Amino acid sequence: MSKTMPGTKDRNTLAYPGFGLGLRPDHYRDFLDGPQPVEWLEIISENFMVPGGKPLAMLDAIRADYPMVLHGVSLSIGSVEPLDRGYLAELKALAERVEPLWVSDHLCWTGINAHNSHDLLPLPYDAPTLDCVIDNISRVQDYLGRRILIENPSSYVTFRASDRSEWEFLAEMATRADCLLLLDVNNIYVSARNHGFHPHDYLVGLPAGRVQQIHLAGHSDMGDYVIDTHDADVCDAVWELYADACGLFGPVATMIERDDDIPPLAALIAELDHARAVAARMCEPYYV
Amino acid sequence: MQARFLTGVIDGAAVAEALIVDDDIVGARQRLDIYRHNYRASLTGVLADHFARLLAYLGDEQFGRVARAYVAAHRSSTRNLRYYGGEFAAFLAQNFPEDGELAELAMLDGALRAAFDAADVAALDAARVGALGDGWIDRALSLHPSVRLLDFRYNSAAIWSALDGDREPPPVTQLPGRVRLLIWRCGQQPSFRSLSMDEGAALDQLAAGCSFTALCARTIAVAGDRAAATVADWLGIWLADGILVAAD
Repeated sequence: MSKTMPGTKDRNTLAYPGFGLGLRPDHYRDFLDGPQPVEWLEIISENFMVPGGKPLAMLDAIRADYPMVLHGVSLSIGSVEPLDRGYLAELKALAERVEPLWVSDHLCWTGINAHNSHDLLPLPYDAPTLDCVIDNISRVQDYLGRRILIENPSSYVTFRASDRSEWEFLAEMATRADCLLLLDVNNIYVSARNHGFHPHDYLVGLPAGRVQQIHLAGHSDMGDYVIDTHDADVCDAVWELYADACGLFGPVATMIERDDDIPPLAALIAELDHARAVAARMCEPYYV
Repeated sequence: MQARFLTGVIDGAAVAEALIVDDDIVGARQRLDIYRHNYRASLTGVLADHFARLLAYLGDEQFGRVARAYVAAHRSSTRNLRYYGGEFAAFLAQNFPEDGELAELAMLDGALRAAFDAADVAALDAARVGALGDGWIDRALSLHPSVRLLDFRYNSAAIWSALDGDREPPPVTQLPGRVRLLIWRCGQQPSFRSLSMDEGAALDQLAAGCSFTALCARTIAVAGDRAAATVADWLGIWLADGILVAAD
């Protein structure tokens, strides 16, 4: 007997494209030299917000053969300051160039008073922040003319002002703003270790019908806390959490996110194949 | 709240710790220290990436000290990290006036970086000039957006080239006069070469929108009829290198 795919009734996501990788300069040549067993690629938007030259030439050449998604780090969707119109214009121009499957950024803020941290800074999870984030998402979606994905951050602090969990915040945000979610399973693991919650509670608290994409990545275990470094293989605990996510959400576009100590492409594809195997095992009931 | 938190991250202000929950395992200060470290690491990291030959020249330890001093003196006000090191060469010139090669190495690293992803504008080459017909020589010209002209007082270009080739750099020497460098993107590859004073002056005129006809006339007026052959030689090189664009 087949199992009903989670969130089927209230499914808001776009078509499922399969498994992808983050496109990094180390692997440009691999993608140009021949087809790779990857269904789509994610690019860091800001890396291609440049006037011209090799980055845009590589982008256009590889885009000709692979669907892409845009992933940004500078939207600052939680900022109490007005959104940066210049950044939004550049993002829109890049989206028109790439014609991505979707556009994502993080639940965070990056700076204030003209100073930029270049980091994904945490937010208090309370009603005023929720209203601010939802208002900003709506403005961005109106400007870009598409729904966006918001990714759960990894975090190291809890604000005294917070009066709800991160997953409760995300769930209400996604519903009220009518946006989609990029679920970083490693970030859930990192934050769970840093804040002492159970990662399964996080997963079951999310609206399944709005999870469009999953990130898998490595981290650095410092003992008392964990840092999200994206410089290592996905660890066993994160694979187990990914299996839980597959069981809860069904087939979701999944990719390996590696930003440092970049290994040869074949190593990342092997890791992606492991994700395919986990998803196939956990999602099998949905295909029956 | 966000202003107080960012001050805690950038300046290390303890007031930010009052915003967050303390605990016995990690503690509020150490939790904030993670963001403080991330901030400095991302800024010093982008300097190391964008000024790679200066890093090779100074070594990790000395470069790290200089980069941390720059970060302490320069909060990032740019949205894109690509532009964060824009004042690094000036900072070096101001703080290390006795070591002029440091600022020059940074200028060269920076100019090559800027050339790498400068705007794509179709450069004039022999085929495009041919298609424009004889009238092209009277049209205003300009330099490709990737082009930078730098004046150096030290043998910094030789030091840069040695470091780029993993060779021992030559000792620093002050040059008898200034040397002008042309930095540009050849295809997708940033490049540089030194210029004679005359060729450098000719490129200054082209950068100002001079036509080829006017350039020839001015050069001959200064150097005599024999200079015409030299200008023709330059033109062949400029068209092959792709450093000229039509200004109109």
